[in-house]
Amino acid sequence: MLLTATIFIPLIAAVVFALAPRRRVTPLEDDPPEFGVAGAERDGVAEQLAVEPAPMHVEIDDRSPAYERKLQLAATAVAAVPLLLMIAIWLRFEGAGGFEQVESASWIPTLGVGYRVGVDGLSLPLAAMTAFIFVVAIAYPVDLRGRAAPYFALMLFLMGASLGLFLALDLFLFFVFWDLSLVGMYFLIGAWGHGDAQRSALKFFVYTFAGSLALLLAILGIYLATEPRTFDMAEIIRQQPLPATGLYATLVFFGFFVGFAVKTPMVPFHTWLPPAHVDAPAPASAILAGVLLKMGTYGFVRILMAMMPATFERFALPIGILAVISILYGSLVALAQTNVKRLIAYTSVNHMGYVMLGLAAAGASIAGEADAQAIALTGASVEMVAHGLITGALFLISGSLYARTHTYQMDEYGGLAGRARALTGLTVVAAFASLGLPALAGFVAEFQIFAGALAVYPWLAGIGLVGIVVTAALFLRMLQKLFLGPLPVRWTHFPDLHPIEVAALGALIVLVVIIGVIPAWLLDVVDSFAGPLVGRG
Amino acid sequence: MIAILLPLVPLVAAGLLVALGGHSRALAPLAVAALFGTLALGGWAAATEPSLDWEWSPRITTGLAVQGFSRVMVLVIPAIAAPIVLYAAATEDDGQVRLLALMVAFTGAMLLLVSAADFLMLLIAWELVGATSWALIGHGWREPENGRAAAQAFVTTRIGDLGLYVAAGMLFAATGSFGFESLGRASGWERDVMAAGVLLAAMAKSAQVPFSPWLFAAMAGPPPVSALLHSATLVAAGAYLLIRVAPDLDVVVWFAPAVATVGLVTALTGGIVATIQTHAKRMLAASTSAQYGLMFVAVGASSTAAAGAHLVTHAAFKSLLFLSAGVAIHATGTPSLGGMGLGRALPRIALLAGVGALALAAVPPLGGAWSKEEVVAAAVHASPWLGTGIFVAGFLSAFYAARFQVLVFGPIAAWSDQRGGTDAERLQYRPGRWEVVSLALLAAATVGLSLLWVPGTDRFVEDMSKGELFGSAQWELALSVATIVLALGVAWQLARRGRLGSLCLPPRLQAAVGDWLGLPAGARRLVVSPVIALSQVLARFDDRVVDAGVRAVGKLAQFVSRLFSIRVEWTFDGFVGAVGQGAVTLAGLFSTRAEQGFDGVVRSVAVTTMGAASRSRVVDEVAIDGAVEGGARAVGDAGTQSQRLQTGLAHQYYVVVVAGLSATVAVLVLFGWAAQS
Repeated sequence: MLLTATIFIPLIAAVVFALAPRRRVTPLEDDPPEFGVAGAERDGVAEQLAVEPAPMHVEIDDRSPAYERKLQLAATAVAAVPLLLMIAIWLRFEGAGGFEQVESASWIPTLGVGYRVGVDGLSLPLAAMTAFIFVVAIAYPVDLRGRAAPYFALMLFLMGASLGLFLALDLFLFFVFWDLSLVGMYFLIGAWGHGDAQRSALKFFVYTFAGSLALLLAILGIYLATEPRTFDMAEIIRQQPLPATGLYATLVFFGFFVGFAVKTPMVPFHTWLPPAHVDAPAPASAILAGVLLKMGTYGFVRILMAMMPATFERFALPIGILAVISILYGSLVALAQTNVKRLIAYTSVNHMGYVMLGLAAAGASIAGEADAQAIALTGASVEMVAHGLITGALFLISGSLYARTHTYQMDEYGGLAGRARALTGLTVVAAFASLGLPALAGFVAEFQIFAGALAVYPWLAGIGLVGIVVTAALFLRMLQKLFLGPLPVRWTHFPDLHPIEVAALGALIVLVVIIGVIPAWLLDVVDSFAGPLVGRG
Repeated sequence: MIAILLPLVPLVAAGLLVALGGHSRALAPLAVAALFGTLALGGWAAATEPSLDWEWSPRITTGLAVQGFSRVMVLVIPAIAAPIVLYAAATEDDGQVRLLALMVAFTGAMLLLVSAADFLMLLIAWELVGATSWALIGHGWREPENGRAAAQAFVTTRIGDLGLYVAAGMLFAATGSFGFESLGRASGWERDVMAAGVLLAAMAKSAQVPFSPWLFAAMAGPPPVSALLHSATLVAAGAYLLIRVAPDLDVVVWFAPAVATVGLVTALTGGIVATIQTHAKRMLAASTSAQYGLMFVAVGASSTAAAGAHLVTHAAFKSLLFLSAGVAIHATGTPSLGGMGLGRALPRIALLAGVGALALAAVPPLGGAWSKEEVVAAAVHASPWLGTGIFVAGFLSAFYAARFQVLVFGPIAAWSDQRGGTDAERLQYRPGRWEVVSLALLAAATVGLSLLWVPGTDRFVEDMSKGELFGSAQWELALSVATIVLALGVAWQLARRGRLGSLCLPPRLQAAVGDWLGLPAGARRLVVSPVIALSQVLARFDDRVVDAGVRAVGKLAQFVSRLFSIRVEWTFDGFVGAVGQGAVTLAGLFSTRAEQGFDGVVRSVAVTTMGAASRSRVVDEVAIDGAVEGGARAVGDAGTQSQRLQTGLAHQYYVVVVAGLSATVAVLVLFGWAAQS
């Protein structure tokens, strides 16, 4: 029941939040005034909230900061439940290979559609990371535009959908959650974004929805090849229904490929990403980068590598080449950005390139390098988790900057190291983590990806390594522009991070450090799936 | 256990320093005590050769092992760091907590580096050292130049780090292990690539040509940082790596000659640059590159023992010289060599610095001379050309050592003549007791290393560095001394004529040669600028070309949607209904021929699509509603405009859904047909 509860608690809570009273009259109980003050400080405006000692009844409307804070607290508490459940699931995880803790129910038996959820060494870390990022993102201060209840309802809805996607063991269920996540993110960007938010949201939706249509066709394609017909992932993996070659298998492969490559995104399918990130509210950006992008790479492993390994093998080299292009292209384009959020968005393209390079190396047909391939696959999987945590933190930081200054242009900043120490310290660690500094999570991933890929595709990996230097240059440049040098006069009253922001970012960073310093607990889990998957191929 | 304590003690101490903050007087004593404690641990480790295995992942075991030349490094690093941190505590007030904590943490990272037993741990420490050096070089972050210099240092050395990535990957591909002990088992092209990676990493870290300019930039850090990073640590990492792994790589035929060539080129060019430089710290930086060049030559001439010995003696005298330069800059307020002339004003400092300068000039019986003679012996043994080059490099180093000492601590002070008054009154700053103590400690180490001349020590040196010494012949020693005397004589003649600063060179030529022979400008023109230009071109390409394709598809969809969207809602609903009906009908047709359940798939697709359709209407409502709300707030046309835009995009979305639906039906038909045949 744990897994099902993990998925459905946020979904049910989303409904409750959607129905939350918009305007109500209640007796003023111990309504802590610091909520209001916190909200005002957060905006960097000295806007004092008038918490008047009212008599018996006071009208609390849904736009009051106090009400927003209460909802945020409630939503965070609800979101913490799946996180605790994921920890419990992690503790029960045995790592014997294969799917564990499977829960299933009959759904549409005539079609072979079932409600099946479970975890293995890949989905467990991803789902746990998802739950963690959602808790942090929901707790993170954000401009709610006076629509707190729908915001938290959507966040929880998206949380349930994302967890469902990673835990699903049925292709039909997988697809349902896949599409639901698109819808949730569309609304978050469209309604709470800034700039040209609606256009960006629609571009995101249309582009990734087109990808999901390709995915749907491919799912049906593989379904029709199963015997007996089933959407059960474990069964399909056992059956290996499609041959290595042939037009049919190739078409199905490309259906999946397009669906996942758009979502990941791989160059050249990435242009929906920068506008969506820049215009999205910071917590949504963190989730988009941290969780939604991983759905693409997760699909590559879970479906393409596990269900059609022979076909994947045929296309491993082209995928590796595209991955290296993504690495270099993403980092170089990021280097040229003047907008800090766009810069971070393009580094996502770069980092997803690392993941894909690892997957290509792991799925390639090469004799006698099983160990290296397992390391590459482990590295790619860890990169999914590491990138989620690190880039999530970086996007939240960009949101904190924007909330204080209403600009993303790096040239307008400078010298903040003297004004905002907590912000500086956390950003420096996050930036170094993103550029792959050892003792932080990114290195654990990137080292294994490159160590593995160098054994399989030495030339590709060697070229891809250049991306490591470019990311170092671009992040140091970002730090230089934001924090070093003289402080512009207009930011002399720039407020440092609020304690809630420090706690949220600190939680992400602490996990990044833990994974970086003692990675074995995570690598053991990941290896329990990576070893067998590569060993078979 | 002790192996992990060695790096851990400084790291924990650094954390403590930060926790104590700026309010405590215990700061400096704690920092220095931590380093002396580490020194004691280092002594223990050198005696017991501890090692430690650590299961990093189920497939990768990494570890620490203090053995071979590491035993020397674990002593040298804290022994040099302690006086430097003492100096920093006494002089640097700005951000003192950060500076001390970072210096102590840096020492810990460096100790991790020299105790690494494999390429994974080495890479971890290697990059940690690089990152802490970024923070140390950029210590005065309010000056934009310092931040840029720190970034330049980190990025340049990171190019070398790629070499370690490659070496680690190749070793793993060839042997299935990252351990240094597997180096001998590698073979084939992987071994060659691995050797190249090691060489690249060592060159970048030890500031060899063409990477040398980062060391110039690194002079943006305060003097104690320069003394720490550019004597016994950071730059030492490259030479240390070679000393540790070169013996296993000598089967690669091109490796030793390549190392020697790089070293000789750097020793000569670095010597020329140091000879000509007029900036006190940059002159020492160029000299550092040149001295590490000598160590590379020794490694290339298969005498890792000579390289190791020179690393140790250089660490002592160069940190002493950097600190004395720091005192001089502090006292005069300028880094310019020309006419500091602090000899009369600061006689004690001048004396201590003189010890360092004599060692740099390789004047016997100082330890610096002994180690340089061993390098000469190895080079002569390897090839006469290499030997000749080393004598020239020796001439240069004796000359610039003399030039440094005379200009900075000589008796003639140009500035005092201009302003009048006695020298001592003109000083902006007088060094305090702890500065003198720290200099004295380093000078004592420099003098103490003279013990290397005692007969029989060569066995000890060979044992400690697990390498071979060739022993310098009488004629080599005589020739070296003659070279030194000649160099000092030239310096003396120039000094008498007051030309030691300008060297009779036109100022522009002097500036050009002094700026690393134009290497930084060349790197900017050939590497940095093209990369930035490329990135900007790609960014424009991304906006205009890649995305344009996507936008064109959108435009097309919009156009198509306009064609049949007189009444969008009606058309759309009708269409979805029709398609749904059609799909069901189709399914009915197929169900007779296709297997059971096929019908259901089509139906479920129809249902899904209907769901998507109704969702799309929600999208439309929210999007349009949002736009209307926005429009109400905005003024005039802008609102209407955006509303129109939203509507257009909504059409586009419908078209995608419809197109997808049609495609779905088409593919289903195809599949049905495929399943039939």
